[in-house]
Amino acid sequence: MSRIEIDGLTKRFGDTVALDDVSFEVPAGEFVIILGVSGSGKSTLLRCMSGLTTPTEGEVRIDGRPMTAPRPEVAMIFQQHNIVGDMTAYSNALSGGINRSGFLESVLQLQDKSEKQQALEALDTVGLLEEAQQKARRMSGGQQQRVGIARALVQEPNVLLADEPVASLDPGSAQDVMQYLKTASKDKGLSTFISLHQVNIARKFGERFIGLQNGKKVFDGYLDELTIDAIDEIYGDIDTEGMFITQDTDRTVADSDQEATP
Amino acid sequence: MSRDERVETDGGTESPTRLENASAEVNRQFEKIRETRRRRAIGWAGLLGFILFVLIQGMSATELLGGDVRIAYFVGSLREFFPITFVFGFIPFLDVGQYLAFIRREELLYNPEIGGLLFNWPPQLYTFFFQELGIFSIFGEAGITLAMGVVGTILGFPIALMFGVLGSERVTPFPFNFIFRGTMSFIRAIPAIVWTLIFIPFAGLGPTSATLAIAFDTIGNLGRLFVDELEEIEEGSIEAMQTTGANQPQIVFFGMLSQVKTSFIAWTLYILEINVRIAVTVGVVGAGGLGLVVESQRGLLNFTNMMATLFCIFILIISVELFSQRLRSRLRSDEEVRSWRELIFGFPNRMANSMLK
Repeated sequence: MSRIEIDGLTKRFGDTVALDDVSFEVPAGEFVIILGVSGSGKSTLLRCMSGLTTPTEGEVRIDGRPMTAPRPEVAMIFQQHNIVGDMTAYSNALSGGINRSGFLESVLQLQDKSEKQQALEALDTVGLLEEAQQKARRMSGGQQQRVGIARALVQEPNVLLADEPVASLDPGSAQDVMQYLKTASKDKGLSTFISLHQVNIARKFGERFIGLQNGKKVFDGYLDELTIDAIDEIYGDIDTEGMFITQDTDRTVADSDQEATP
Repeated sequence: MSRDERVETDGGTESPTRLENASAEVNRQFEKIRETRRRRAIGWAGLLGFILFVLIQGMSATELLGGDVRIAYFVGSLREFFPITFVFGFIPFLDVGQYLAFIRREELLYNPEIGGLLFNWPPQLYTFFFQELGIFSIFGEAGITLAMGVVGTILGFPIALMFGVLGSERVTPFPFNFIFRGTMSFIRAIPAIVWTLIFIPFAGLGPTSATLAIAFDTIGNLGRLFVDELEEIEEGSIEAMQTTGANQPQIVFFGMLSQVKTSFIAWTLYILEINVRIAVTVGVVGAGGLGLVVESQRGLLNFTNMMATLFCIFILIISVELFSQRLRSRLRSDEEVRSWRELIFGFPNRMANSMLK
C-alpha cells in the first residue's frame, strides 16, 4: 500500500506537450481509472509513474520517494503484454520475482520452493493454473494479458500500473481481465492505476477517475461525480452518445457480456 | 494547337480520329511520357555499353582474351572424369564401379575398422563410443571434414554469442560497441582459408589449424548475424523487465535473448552448413578430409578418383543441409514438436507428401 503524489508533471517530446502540469494525490489502496482519447497523455502519465520515462518537469512520489527509475514495488502491465512468447506461462510468472534472485538463479530457475509456489498461486489468481506449462505465444490475447498480470503480482508490488490492458481484447476477455485486475488489487490492497478508453468498462470497475485531454487533467473525481457532462468534457467534441450507460443498461450490458463469455 | 500538328507529334502512327477526341492536356501528358521513355532507353543503352566496356577490360586482365583455352583437351579429360564402361559389350554406361572402388579403398565415406566395432557381432559399444571416439571417424575422410565444420561451429558459438550481445547498441553504449563490431569485421575481412594459413605455425598444416580457422570465421559471421538480429527486437520486453527490477544481465537474458532464441539457433545451423562447405575448401590447401583427397588426386592427374571424391562431397553437403533445414523449419514452425520415433518412421510418408505437392 502506497500513497501516490503527482506533482506538476510535465512531459514534452520536442514541440509536442504530452503532459501539461498534471497534479493529483491518491491515498493508498484506491482503484483509479485514467480516461482520455488516444494521444491525451494516458500512456505518458503511466510511463512517468513507472519510472520508464523521465518527466521534463515535476515529479512522481510514491511513499514520498520520487520515481527516477523503475523500482520493484511498482509493477506495470502493458497493452501488448510484453511477456516472453518462448517461455511457458509459469516461467513468465516466475520472472516477476526476478529482482529477488541472482542472474544464474533466475536463468536456471533455481529459486526456492516458496517463490515457485507464489508464481503458481499468481497464475491461479488469474485462472491459468491449468495452463501453467503452456508456451505463452500459443495462448490467446486475453490469456497472455492474464499471464502479464500474474507476473506483475509475483513482483509483490505496492502499486500496480496498467496501460490500456484491455485495448486489444474482445469485450468478453476485456471484462475477464478487468475483473482479475480488480480482484487482485483488492486482495493485496494495491494502489492501482489503469488507463482505458472504454467508458462503460471504466464505469463498471472504477472507483476513482482521472480524465486527461491534450495532456491536461480535466477531471478528478469518484464514480458519482462521473456524469455525462464530465465525460463530455474528457472526450471533447466526440459524440459520446452510447458511451455513457445508466445503471439499468449497465446491468444488461454486463449480463449479455457474461452470456458471451462462458 | 491545330489538328495537323497533333497528328505529326506522334509520328502519324495513331489514327487522327482518336487524337481529335483527346484534349490538349492528354496530348501534353502523352508527349511527356514519350520523352521520359526515350530518355530512359538512352540511359539503359549507355549502361549496357559501359558494362560491356568493363567486361572487355576485365577479360583482358584475366587472360580470357586470346588465352589458351583447350576445348579438345577438356573434352578428353571429361572421359576420365566420367569413365565409360560397356554393358553387354556395346551399351555405353557410366562406370560407377571405378568410383566405388576408390571410395572404398581410400575410406572416403566409411571406415570399416571403426564401423566394425558397431556392426560386427557382438557390438563393442564401449570401445566405439569411449575409446575410439568413433562417431565421426566411422565416416572416414567425410567424417574428418564434417568434424572440422561441427567442432568449429561449437567452439565459435559462445564467443560469437558474447561478441554479438556486446556489439549490440542496447547493451554496450554507442562508441564502445564498435570495439566488438570492429573485431568481428576484422575477422570477416580475412577468409577462413587464409586463417588456416595463419594458424599453420601454431598447429601445423592439418585439421587442427582448419578447425581453429573455422571457429574464428564463425565468430565473425555468426556474431554479425546475432548483432543484426538483436537490432530488430521489440523494446516492450526490455521495458517489462526493467519495471520488474531486473539487473542488467537479467534484462539481457529475459528481455533480449529470450526473444531471439529460436532465430539464433536457426542462424547457428545455417552457419554450420556453411562451415562444412568451408571445411572442404580449407581441406584443399592441405588441411585434411575430403578436400585434401580432391587436391592430391588432382595432383596425380587422376580425374576419375577426383570425381569420385567430388560425389562424396556432394553427398556430405546435401546430408548436412537436409538435416539443418529440416531442423530449422521445425524450430520456426509453431506446430507440436515431433517425437524422434515419428521423425524416423514418419519419414517415407512425409517425403511422399512433399513430392505430391
